[in-house]
Amino acid sequence: MTRTAGRFSIAPWLLLGPFLACFGVFFALPLVQSVGLSMRQTFGPAASEFVGAANYRNVMADPLFWKAVRNTVVFTVGNVIIQLPLALLLAMLLNRPGLRWRGALRAIFFAPVLVGVVFVAMIFGVIFEKRTGLVNQALHSMIGWDLDFPWLQRYVMPAMIIASLWQYLGFNMVYFLGALQNVRKELIEASTLDGAGPWQRFRHVVVPQIRPVASFVVLLSIVGSFQLFELPYVLFNGTAGPDNRGLTIVMYLYQMGFDQGDLGYASAVGWLLAALLIVFALLQRRLAGEAGRGARA
Amino acid sequence: MIDALIDMIRRMSASRGVMVIALLGIASSIAVAVLPARPPSGVQMWTFARLHKQMYDPIIADWPAELRPEITLMSFPALERRMLQGFLARTPTAELIECERRSAARAFVGPLESVGFTDLTDRLRSEGLLDQINGPSFGPWSSRGRIFGLPHDVHPVMLGYRADLVEAAGIDVSTIETWDDFVRVMGPLMSERGPDGKPVRYLLNLWEDKEDLIEVLLLQAGGGYFDEQERVRIATPVNARVISTIVMWCRGPGRIAADAADFSASGNQLKAEGYVVAAFMPDWMCNVWKNEIPQLSGKMKLMPLPAWTRGGRRTSVWGGTMLGISRTAPDQERLWRIASKLYLSPELARSLYTTGDIITPVRTLWNDPIFDEPDPYFSGQRKGRDYIALAPDVPNRTSSPYNVMAKLRVQTAVIALSTHAMRIGATSVEQLEPRAMELLKVAENQVRAQIKRNVFLDSGGDATDGGGS
Repeated sequence: MTRTAGRFSIAPWLLLGPFLACFGVFFALPLVQSVGLSMRQTFGPAASEFVGAANYRNVMADPLFWKAVRNTVVFTVGNVIIQLPLALLLAMLLNRPGLRWRGALRAIFFAPVLVGVVFVAMIFGVIFEKRTGLVNQALHSMIGWDLDFPWLQRYVMPAMIIASLWQYLGFNMVYFLGALQNVRKELIEASTLDGAGPWQRFRHVVVPQIRPVASFVVLLSIVGSFQLFELPYVLFNGTAGPDNRGLTIVMYLYQMGFDQGDLGYASAVGWLLAALLIVFALLQRRLAGEAGRGARA
Repeated sequence: MIDALIDMIRRMSASRGVMVIALLGIASSIAVAVLPARPPSGVQMWTFARLHKQMYDPIIADWPAELRPEITLMSFPALERRMLQGFLARTPTAELIECERRSAARAFVGPLESVGFTDLTDRLRSEGLLDQINGPSFGPWSSRGRIFGLPHDVHPVMLGYRADLVEAAGIDVSTIETWDDFVRVMGPLMSERGPDGKPVRYLLNLWEDKEDLIEVLLLQAGGGYFDEQERVRIATPVNARVISTIVMWCRGPGRIAADAADFSASGNQLKAEGYVVAAFMPDWMCNVWKNEIPQLSGKMKLMPLPAWTRGGRRTSVWGGTMLGISRTAPDQERLWRIASKLYLSPELARSLYTTGDIITPVRTLWNDPIFDEPDPYFSGQRKGRDYIALAPDVPNRTSSPYNVMAKLRVQTAVIALSTHAMRIGATSVEQLEPRAMELLKVAENQVRAQIKRNVFLDSGGDATDGGGS
């Protein structure tokens, strides 16, 4: 109970009650239960055996898990390194003063976000096909590209990064555009009067002011990339593609939990994924913090 | 009351949009609560194949009401999820479930007493059905010596080829007995070159990442992933030989294989253009081609698969469906009567063939004259009789829940071998076999490690056990 000036007030608890109940039942309790579950081997509720830390040991010893980690990290790094600078560039182009059709262009670039991931996967599955796919056909007619170039057989991660780029570029662009529109004009003008060139203005005036949004977008992109599932799942018809080249951590979790029926093992994978995300988030915060301090210094 | 509600919402927020959403939410909740839900009537049966439902509906239409199942069609993933959810979490399922090999195997992961299907072994034996039904067809539905489903099919594999191209080149396929013969006799069909210097057509629709076709060829050669006791047997000389040959077909200097994907518009276009001369054709695939590439009608023919060695097996097996009874369903006797009446009926055997080009596994029905009818799509061949002639020779398969995993690990091995072959510029199968054996050993160890992890399978302390015997 909340004590206000020596009196209990029930009102805050009544207002918080529905949220706390839902949070407890649907989030906190399953979270706690999943810790216990990760130490059991299960086949439905009827068949469950305590196996201690064996699930964690087995996950760490499974080369497929590490392949999933490697694939996920490649996708994440590709996404962050390629997509975010492009999104920023696009935002800067759209933020130019006097640009006509700004609203329409923003809507056009944002539109792919509205397309479901399942459709994106189906479309890119056709686009990247050997011989008949749009990409190989177009490149073949332009530069004599090999029609049999195996995008979805050997270059799965580049193909998925391109698909993701198409879908989320506009989404990240909108964040950057918002941040750019809040950059203080007087600072830009002052730096111009002080003789700063375009790069110096960008580096020393714009970047520090959009840093909070950029950090958020990076974090969002990392978390989203680590949760990659639907794109490879649909692209490869429920499998992880040839030689598991489309296997991601969440897909591995899904395969173990729902294909093999072992929710205990899947819980262990889930906790390891959470640990990885926490590490990445802390790393990203630290790097962003250091960069910020460096910029201020 | 409604005015008071609207007034309350209005006071809570000035937004009309919020009000509309709230009203819609309330109205739909009331509708869900008030509208009567139609309780299922009679026995429920799930199937994943539209074609199957189309075949069953006319057959069961005249059945007595108490035996007539209500068939629900759902997508393959939906059926698999709902079935497994029902078995694992005791949510409601249909009493009769028709499922495919991969889904059924997933029900066999846990302890025998947790398998969600009724054990039909004793019933099949007492009614003499083990002798009436083609033996290998039971394989995928058996686990640890018990049978959990009635087989729907046999699915022998033949080689479908472009008779128009082959005959125009003056090639006589009757001289082909082995895969070596196939490469030698059909070879001239690859002589025509395109502007890029590559052949305009290849002999075989096969690629290194097609795990289903790799399995077809392994089984044909007497290899595979598990032995008859369902123990893991991946790193074997037979398997090494087969995957080395596949890699040479795809990547060697005498490449004969190309990828024209099944079930895709682009793959069908390539097939129609004659990019591949021959393709693996289980009986059900005939129907897929007829529906998806009708322009090849009268241009196709079938031949038995070339053997790996002279006198060797001329067929293999691909796919499979069963009908199982949910173990928790009441009135098991009635459900068995329905299942057996449907699956063992001569009407279904005929419908399977005329509608789906599928051969019944019921051997006593193989005399039906329907199987002697010429098929115009396959240039008038009596293909039913040809498939039946091969049916007893289809290789045995296991139902190991780890089969999918083994299949994917072997696919990984084939792809790695392919990379190796390109790197060293391999020119012969023999050159690749030692590396193939090493890669298969890695695959075998990975599958074995997963099986060993399963505390529910009675492995008898043998880590190589795949969950059976």
